[in-house]
Parts: sequence; structure tokens; C-alpha cells
Amino acid sequence: MIRYIEKDHPAYPKRLRKLPGMPSHLYVNGCLPREEQPTVGIVGARRCTNYGKQTAREFARVFSDWGIQVVSGMAMGVDGESHRGALQGKTPTFAVLGCGVDICYPSCNGDLFGQIPAKGGILSEYPPGMPPVGRYFPARNRIISGLSDVLLVVEARRKSGSLITVDCALEQGKSVYAVPGRVTDPLSEGCNSLIAQGAGIALSPEVVLNELGLDTYKTKEKIGGGKKSKLSLARDLELVYSCIGFQPTDYETLIAQCGYPPGQVLAVLTELQLLGLVEEVGKNYYVRPSAK
Amino acid sequence: MFSSIYSAAVTGMEVVPVQVEADVSDGLPVFSMVGYVSSQVKETQDRVRTALHNKKLGLPAKRITVNLAPGDVRKEGTGYDLPVALCILTALGRIPGKYLQGVMAAGELGLDGRVKGIWGILPMVQKAREAGCQVCMVPRENEKEGRLIDNIRVVGVKDIAEAVEWLRQGRPMQDNKEPEHMESELERPEEAVDFSDIRGQEGAVRATLIAAAGMHNLLYIGSPGSGKSMMARRIPGILPPLAREESLELTKIYSIAGLLSKDHPVIQKRPFRCPHHTISPQALAGGGRSPRPGEITLAHNGVLFLDELPEFSRKSLEILRQPLEDRCVYISRVQGTYVFPAGCMLAAAMNPCACGYYPDLGRCRCTPSEVKRYLGKLSGPLLDRMDLCVDIREPTYAQMAQSSRGISSEELRKKVIRAQQIQEKRYQGTDIRFNSQLDGRSVEDYCIMTESSRQWMERIYTKLRLSPRAYHRIIKVSRTIADLDQSELIEEIHVQEAYGYRMAQGGVYDSIY
Repeated sequence: MIRYIEKDHPAYPKRLRKLPGMPSHLYVNGCLPREEQPTVGIVGARRCTNYGKQTAREFARVFSDWGIQVVSGMAMGVDGESHRGALQGKTPTFAVLGCGVDICYPSCNGDLFGQIPAKGGILSEYPPGMPPVGRYFPARNRIISGLSDVLLVVEARRKSGSLITVDCALEQGKSVYAVPGRVTDPLSEGCNSLIAQGAGIALSPEVVLNELGLDTYKTKEKIGGGKKSKLSLARDLELVYSCIGFQPTDYETLIAQCGYPPGQVLAVLTELQLLGLVEEVGKNYYVRPSAK
Repeated sequence: MFSSIYSAAVTGMEVVPVQVEADVSDGLPVFSMVGYVSSQVKETQDRVRTALHNKKLGLPAKRITVNLAPGDVRKEGTGYDLPVALCILTALGRIPGKYLQGVMAAGELGLDGRVKGIWGILPMVQKAREAGCQVCMVPRENEKEGRLIDNIRVVGVKDIAEAVEWLRQGRPMQDNKEPEHMESELERPEEAVDFSDIRGQEGAVRATLIAAAGMHNLLYIGSPGSGKSMMARRIPGILPPLAREESLELTKIYSIAGLLSKDHPVIQKRPFRCPHHTISPQALAGGGRSPRPGEITLAHNGVLFLDELPEFSRKSLEILRQPLEDRCVYISRVQGTYVFPAGCMLAAAMNPCACGYYPDLGRCRCTPSEVKRYLGKLSGPLLDRMDLCVDIREPTYAQMAQSSRGISSEELRKKVIRAQQIQEKRYQGTDIRFNSQLDGRSVEDYCIMTESSRQWMERIYTKLRLSPRAYHRIIKVSRTIADLDQSELIEEIHVQEAYGYRMAQGGVYDSIY
């Protein structure tokens, strides 16, 4: 059921009420973020890498387990993955849309559209039935940052829409964290330059949790490939495996790095795939699978 | 008076002997032609009349009737000018009738009496020999082509007067002409391009080698300028040299298509055809009212390369499916069904997305849906026919700059020849020539796997949910890899490598976004 909430309604989020430029009303499918529970906004590129997806999902899951409400935009890529991660945790998650709350956009996130309102909520300032129009999307970024106590940027290009959200957050006086990446990755350029400008470095979810005043002293959770591999592989498998990271690596590069003849490299790659250690994401592009 | 001479009609790849008959009788001065002639052939009468007139052989004001038998085969083309002219002259008594016996003639006349070259001479001469003719009279331009056939006299004539003179003199032997021998020229012509020009890209070279060894269809995926076409152009150079029969068969095809050069009318190199992507389905597979060979037939015994595969029209690509399977094209018309050979290896190239750089996210500007749409242009059944699929990536600067050259075409060709010899031996007495032609049942007969590779295949079949077709394709490719290794049994490593070249089910990039 979709509710209509005016600015003077008691249910209207307090986080938004005290900020300038916020919408006079909201449409909500599900419920609104709880005032007493902390929130983290996670934003990032729609066309993100595997690394971005995995990081977004893992961070969101940890946050959700720690009772933090994850707010994002339900877009493709980082947004959608953070919702997915949050849904695995214990706390509801909230999506702010740039179209009517009864419209599932993008359609590939149909699963989220169905699951989020069950415990959390889908919000929009636009009336139901409003079709997704590109120019309305940047406007919802101010609501995402407004609802968040801390904003986390997972992956962003140099000129990314996510940086609009960062600007909004800074104007609203929120703290901004960015996930660092390799300097050569175009998708980490935005994040790395945010860090250079003074954003917090999100080395792990705990860093953000500490910012929110939560004590994470006893947790030892680590992200992604932090676990030491206890697999004992044959020598050639081990060598090829060590050349593959979380970014897709192509066949030719692997041949050049391992020094094995092409046919053998391909055979080893196939074996690694069968063992579930490697995924072929594009034709002859290989990557370590992200932890599910 | 009545006279007759042989000529020939080309229908599809077949040649039908045609008897040209002429009769000159008293009556109104009329020139009539009968015998299911197309309007193209009807024009013959004006050319013949004028050409003879200009060579001072003018026709008298009599009733001339020309018949082309058999009357149920449609006659097309311009090759009947010469036989019709000779036949009329004989009917007029200007050439002794006995000298036309056992002669087949074909050629187009110009208004000045010159005899011009026509297409299809090689199969015509071949047919003339089969039909028991002793002499073939052809245009001078086509003489070399005709001489490829042994045991028949081929006479090239410059103009109609020369033809008449030669017949009048009682077909004297011509002294200066050596018979054209294919063998003398069969030394392999130098390929202009060589694999050693390619730096790096070892994986793609290896895939190309495997494809060539088993004549498997191959798909390159890579960004613009990464060298997909460069690689494909070098494939004919690593295939074994054409055997004499293959060369003759090809020359016949090119003769019918009118694509032979005058000076060197023999096809000795494996063809490499790369039609533009705007090609029509008929031009690709062959067609027309009286069907002519299409690109896939012209690529017979060689390589058909389709660059920018998704840009081809859906219809053009779908028409390829049957020929790729059967290695010949069937074209049905009211007059009958024509069969053209189509035993080519298909190589295709495509970009991974519309901008061409996916999955390099630093350069690719396509949205995920755009990438999906681009790949969706290829139908599943067509992708299913691609045995090998490999990524081509531009070499690094270090690889470009290195002075050592890559593996040469010569070396690769040796490997291909060895692997094909093994296949030839294995498939002796069957219709199969290459591993790519194996079907479901023969795969089981000829592709014997070791116990461990069988187990491995079982694991991968169940775990990765392969379709039976994909399963067979992997085994066929692994058979070729084993042949390259000169291994009787298919080892685990062969299957593993073959699996790496498979076309992902449901598209090229099924799991990225």
C-alpha cells in the first residue's frame, strides 16, 4: 500500500525536516526509516566492476547485521548490490526512487522491488505512475544523502552521478566515506580523489561503524579475499590462479604472465572454473568469484 | 540446307550439352530462333547478322531458322553467338558440314566480328570431353582456361573469320601451343601475408591453428583494431595446399561465376572471401532466376570471413545455417533444384559491444542493456555452429616492439597438414573429411577418450549443465586438439582446452552484469 506523507505529518522523517530544499511530501511503499536507528547511504556506479559489487554487498550486509539501515537508490550496479547485501542482514533497507514508487526501474531489480517493502520501504517525492525520466534522478540524490547519517561511496568514475550525492551530503553536513581502489582503475578514480580531498577511508565496514559510535572491538570480519587460501593446488593451477584477481583478466595477459603454452593455460583455467575458484565473466575474461 | 553444332548451357554447377541447329531455306528473309531461349539469347541474331556482314560473310535474303535443343532447358547468356554463326555458315554451304562434327563452340560476338570471352568455359570443355567431342572452339581470352582439361583439343579464336578459315582448312593442328599444365604452376604461390607478422596474441593464434586443423568454425571477439581481420586473413596460408581436384573444382566455380583472370585462369590459392556486411542473402548463399554461386560457394575449400558479424542482416546469417551443416547449398527453382558446393570454414569477427571496448570499463561507454542488445543480434542457432570462440586483445607495447617474430605460417601449416593427414586416415572410406563434420553418433565412434577425461567431461556436463550439442562440440574440438598432439586418445588436457573455447550458452557474456 502506498502512503502519502506531507512535511507537517508526524511520520515525515526528522532527518529531512531540518534540512533545506527537501520535498514537501513523500510517497512511501512500506515504511520509513526509523528515527532512532542509524542509517548509512551507499552510492556508486551503475556500471561497476565485480570488485564494486562485492564490496557494496559485503559492506551492506555487515551494516545490516549491526542494526544499521542502508539507504540507496535501487539503481543498477552498486545501489542494487547494497540493497541485496542489506536484505541478507537483519535490518530493513530503504530505496529512494526517481520515479513513482509503483514503478520498478530498472526492471532487472524486480527482486529488490518485491522484497524491500516487506520490512523496509521504497520512497519517492514523485506521484505513483510517474515514469522514470533521466532528469529527475539527480534530484533524489539529495533525499538519499538527507536520510543518511553517513554516506559511503563504493565505486565512482571521475565524473560520476554519485559525486552529486556527495556534494549534497557535504552541504547537509554529513560525513562521507569512500572505498579506495587501485589508482589505475577508472572506476576508482572518483573514490580515490574523494579520499585525496579528505573523505574518510572505508577500509572496512568497521571504520564506518566506529564513525557511527558503535563498538566493533570484538568483530573480526573481513572482506572478500582476506581469508587465506588453504587450498593446495597443483603447481600450474596455483600459478595461473595467482595471476587472476578480482578484476577481469584476459587470456592473453595470463599467457604472457604465466609463461605456459596457450593450450595449457586454457586447460588450467577450465579446471579452476570447475573447482569454482575462477569465473569466466566475458569470453576469455577470468575473475575470482565474489563471495556470495 | 540443315547443319548442327554442339554448344553448352550452364545450369547451376551443371553443364548441359546443347545442339545448335540451323536451317536456311527459301522464303521471306526472316531470322527466327526457337528452343526456350531467353531474351538475352534472342539478341544473338542481330549480333550474328551484323558481325558476319562486317567480316564480308553477309547473310543472303533467305529464311533462317535456328533451334537450340533440348527445348526444355532454358538458354541464357551470350555464348551461343559463335556456334549459331558457324552453324548458319555451314547451312549456307560456306563451311563443309563434316568439319563441324565433334566440335563444341561457345563465344560471344562483337559487331565487328570479334569473339569475346564468356564465363563457364572450363566446365563446358569438361562436358565436351565427356560428350565425346574432339575439338572445343572457345574465345582466345578463354583458351588458357579451356586447356586445363586434358585429352581434348581446345582452339582459341580471335574473330569469326579466323574460326571459319580454320574450319575450312580442315582443322589443321596448331603448332605453337603447349597444353596448359596445372602441375607446372601448382607450386604454392607465395601468400602475401604471414602469421609471423602477428605479435603476441598467442592464445588467438592457437585457437586459429586448431580451427584450421579441423576446419572448425571460429569466432573472434575483440575491440576495434585488435587484429581480428588480420588474423583471419592469414588462415588460408596455414591450410594445406590445394590438391589438383580441389583446384579444378574451384576453378570451375570461379569460371561459372565469371571471376577467373584471363592471364592466370587457375585457382591455386585457397579462397578467402570477406563479403561486406550489407550483403544480401542471395549474394551470400547464391541465387537469382537461374542460380549463380554465392560467396559461400566461392569460399569453397577455403575461408569465408564475416567481419562485424552482428551487423549482417538476420536473414543473411540464418541462410548460412543449412549450408554450414551440409557443406552444400540447395537452391530450388521451378526448373529444378541446383546444388552448389559450400565446404568452407567460417571465420567471423565481432566487437563485444557497440562501442567495441567492453569489458574494459575504462573505455566502454555502453550500458548493460546496450551490450545485451548488441549480442542479442546473433541468433542462438548460429552461435551454436561456432565451434571455437576466442577473445582477441590488442598486444601490449612491449609485445609490439619486440623484434622476434611470432610463429610463421610455414610452421603452423606443417602442424595443420599433419593433423589433417591423421584425420584423412581415420575417416577413410566415409563421407567425413574433418573432425568438424562429425555428428552425434560418429563422435562416439571416433572420439575415444581416456578414462580420466571421460570422468572430467561427466563432471563438467553435470556441474555446468551443458547441452548435448555443446557437449558434442567440445568433444569434436578436443579431437582436433588431440590430433595436433598426435595422440590417439583424447586426454584430459585436450578436453579442458576445448572447453575453454566454447561459446557461452545464451550469449557471449552471460554473467557479467
